[in-house]
Amino acid sequence: MSSPGDAEVLKIGRRLASAFPSTSRHPMKAIDDRAMDFASQDAELRAALFRFVDVVPACRSLDDLARHLTGFLGEVDDKPMGLDMAMRMGNSRPGRATLGAAAATGVRHMAHRFIVGETPKDAERIMRSLWEDGVATSVDLLGEATVTADEADRYAVRCADALEALAAVYGGLPARPALEADSMGPIARANLSVKVSALTPLLRPDAPDLGKRDAAPRLRELLRRAKALDAHLHIDMESFDSLEAITELVLEVLSEDEFRDGPSAGLVLQAYLVDSPATCDEIVTWARQADRAHPLLVRLVKGAYWDHEVVEAAQHGWSAPVFEVKADCDRNFEALTLRLLDARPNVRPAIASHNLRSVAHAIAANRATGADARDVEFQVLRGLGDDLQHALASEGLRVRTYCPVGDLVAGMAYLVRRLLENTSQQGFLQMQAEGHALEELLAAP
Amino acid sequence: MSLSNFINEPILELRRREARDALQAGMAALEPRLPLRVPMLIGAERTEGDDLVSTDPGNPDRPVALAPLATPADAGRAVEVAAAYAPRWAATPASDRAQALVRAAGWMRDRRHELAALCVRECAKPWAEADGDVAEAIDFLEYYARGALALDRGATIIQVPGEKNTMRYAARGVCVVIAPWNFPVAIPTGMVSAALATGNTAVLKPAEQSPGCGAMVVEALRAGGVPADAIGLLPGEGDVGAALVADPRVQTIAFTGSAPVGLGILRAAAEAPEGQMHLKRVVAEMGGKNCVIVDSDADLDDAVPAIVRSAFVYAGQKCSAAARVLVHEAIADALVERVAGAVQTLQVGQADSFGTDLGPVIEREAQERVERYTRLAAEQGTIAARHAGALPERGWFCAPTVATGLPQGSPVLVEEIFGPVLAIESVRNVEEALDRVDGLPYALTGGLFSRNPITVERVAARTPVGNLYVNRHITGAMVGRQPFGGNRLSGTGTKAGGPDYLLQFVEPRVVTENTVRHGLVV
Repeated sequence: MSSPGDAEVLKIGRRLASAFPSTSRHPMKAIDDRAMDFASQDAELRAALFRFVDVVPACRSLDDLARHLTGFLGEVDDKPMGLDMAMRMGNSRPGRATLGAAAATGVRHMAHRFIVGETPKDAERIMRSLWEDGVATSVDLLGEATVTADEADRYAVRCADALEALAAVYGGLPARPALEADSMGPIARANLSVKVSALTPLLRPDAPDLGKRDAAPRLRELLRRAKALDAHLHIDMESFDSLEAITELVLEVLSEDEFRDGPSAGLVLQAYLVDSPATCDEIVTWARQADRAHPLLVRLVKGAYWDHEVVEAAQHGWSAPVFEVKADCDRNFEALTLRLLDARPNVRPAIASHNLRSVAHAIAANRATGADARDVEFQVLRGLGDDLQHALASEGLRVRTYCPVGDLVAGMAYLVRRLLENTSQQGFLQMQAEGHALEELLAAP
Repeated sequence: MSLSNFINEPILELRRREARDALQAGMAALEPRLPLRVPMLIGAERTEGDDLVSTDPGNPDRPVALAPLATPADAGRAVEVAAAYAPRWAATPASDRAQALVRAAGWMRDRRHELAALCVRECAKPWAEADGDVAEAIDFLEYYARGALALDRGATIIQVPGEKNTMRYAARGVCVVIAPWNFPVAIPTGMVSAALATGNTAVLKPAEQSPGCGAMVVEALRAGGVPADAIGLLPGEGDVGAALVADPRVQTIAFTGSAPVGLGILRAAAEAPEGQMHLKRVVAEMGGKNCVIVDSDADLDDAVPAIVRSAFVYAGQKCSAAARVLVHEAIADALVERVAGAVQTLQVGQADSFGTDLGPVIEREAQERVERYTRLAAEQGTIAARHAGALPERGWFCAPTVATGLPQGSPVLVEEIFGPVLAIESVRNVEEALDRVDGLPYALTGGLFSRNPITVERVAARTPVGNLYVNRHITGAMVGRQPFGGNRLSGTGTKAGGPDYLLQFVEPRVVTENTVRHGLVV
């Protein structure tokens, strides 16, 4: 399949952009955006704030919280006005109590923007209202890292419970044809994303078989549950260290006879990986011969571990496994989009990007094939892709929002990564916030 | 001559299948050659034998290397050859010596998979550790080659009119290297190459547990162009080491090993028998009892894996390994529970299997020692975790163990066990942890998990350790990045792989020339 014309992409992009809600309707969001903007101006300040958000869950008291905050701010050379005052408040116990309370409130408020609830049940109201707006979800359970077998078991139980809760929530919702079927067949309403690193403490980069063996029984149990509940189970991709183990685990388990007629399942393709075209081939080849009732859902993302991959490679003297030039990654994303669209009906492509150009390109490419508009799914992140989600839904496209669920405080690690992504200098959302012209943002990479 | 800037030799990217396959191919190439015939090398003389046998710690019936057992008389002959050649090697241009080291690094690089395989077989290092060992050896060669070139240019000192001052560094003479088995390629390579780069001749006595790896070091150097008379190899036991240390023709002793042996060397080296016209210098890297402090604001998701890795990988047989964790009482229970659970996930097995965290310990005596301390820990405290998986029947395997509730002063908290035993203690605060660290005779490595920059600074200022690691594992020092060595009874305070290490191997000489003649500066 060849790439759609830039004029078409531009036209679609403009139309989507005009469907973005205006910030006047979301005054709180405008404040958040300003705070984010403020933090992204200054690298030292940004580092201080991230380190603070990161340590909040471990602070034992408001006093402790304030001591950390002033400790981090102490490392910022050029303190904007206001922060000096915070530093002075840190000098006394009552001052620290006030400062700590203010900071804790601020962080919780930020967390609410990204995390939809402490449990799937808590998130029911949000999921219901999204569904009414024409938006599906995939729920992700936040939690601490898995370092023991007990922790892996507990995560698996939480996932199983979440599947039940999601099935109950979604079972009571009215019909939404655009979200429930495409020309390849019915689409599950309940959708859970799981992490293999949480299903086993044994994911070792140099021994992928170890993690595969250990995670497989827990994954099978979840697949059985999803099948019984007619839910979709999605397996997230993580850092490059675990790529081989996760890809092989998912494809091998889904090849088992037991799962031939369900459930619907999927995995993730990370376009920032230099080797992703080969991985794409591997996945598509597998899907062609898999002979499963449900097409394999492939979520195409840029990838959320870019900094980690680059730093780790640099520390070891390796060449980075990721594209180091953003345009290369964006081009690859478009090429992979075309391949996944071509791989239908064995593959169900889901385009997960907040980059308007990447999204408009996928819409245009899908149109060029003559396929139904429903035959490609779009995915966004809760709290970051809300505007795009709204625009896509208003266009009648199938959009699914990835919704983290979990303890607001313990979910901080997740929050930090999302914040980093949002304030990185080359990030689409950041460029958009800086007021780059739409034509520039929609130009071919 | 100039060399490109030093960069660390990249470790293999074992997350890629091709890299793992290459190591296994290295093992396949090595296996048919076992047991290796390791010679004693004194100048051009090469003697083979089989009185010294190293075996696979995971399969003690399998010999890995056969060597002759050098005697104290051999030690004397080796020193004689090295002493006779010392003036010529010292007179060899520093650039030639550096080139020889760089070529030796190339020799190792070309054979890195097989060398790693030998570390796996002879010392039961898991693959990643074995690969790291070889990469570190290459680093030492490259790093000291460059360092010696810089040193050869002399120091910059103050000049005034009518006076020409120069400060240069001369080789000291014969350097004896007594090496351990736990980094069987890297550490002997480091000590020997530091001596050679700076113009000293060297005699290496590798650990009796790892003569095969030791021989590879000398083979690499000779293949790189270091003359036979400049580097000798004496496979042997303690008596050979003692004879080398006592020899009045020896100028420098570079030692890495246990504190009791190191202290014995320091004592012996202080003797200046009739006819010895110099003071011996001892560069000693000795043991540790390394503590990791965990403050209440630590991220246990990071701290637990890092502690487990620091304490148990390679069965705790690194001088940098974590032996004690001092954790804030607010999170002590959570930490103990998670570490205990993580210990059960450790892979204890043969070192040649990818994924193995702990192979066997090096020998029967080590296994018995670990069991002794484990029993003591059970008597004096509580065993919070002991790996429950079955251990391989053959080989010197030990179950990784975590102990809590030990009384202060317990030998388990004070003595170096050099095995997979970790003690966790609850403390009221970081100050109390620092007091306990301060009460130890050792000061090699230390760790801190805290996210408060003020705490980090406070601990860095107060801890006596030579290498403090903050919010990461405490092993795996890299040449040039983490110059490595301890203080107190952990060593003489020198830093292997650091910018001033080579100064231990030279003597500074200053020449001041009067350039005024009849009132004129000439």
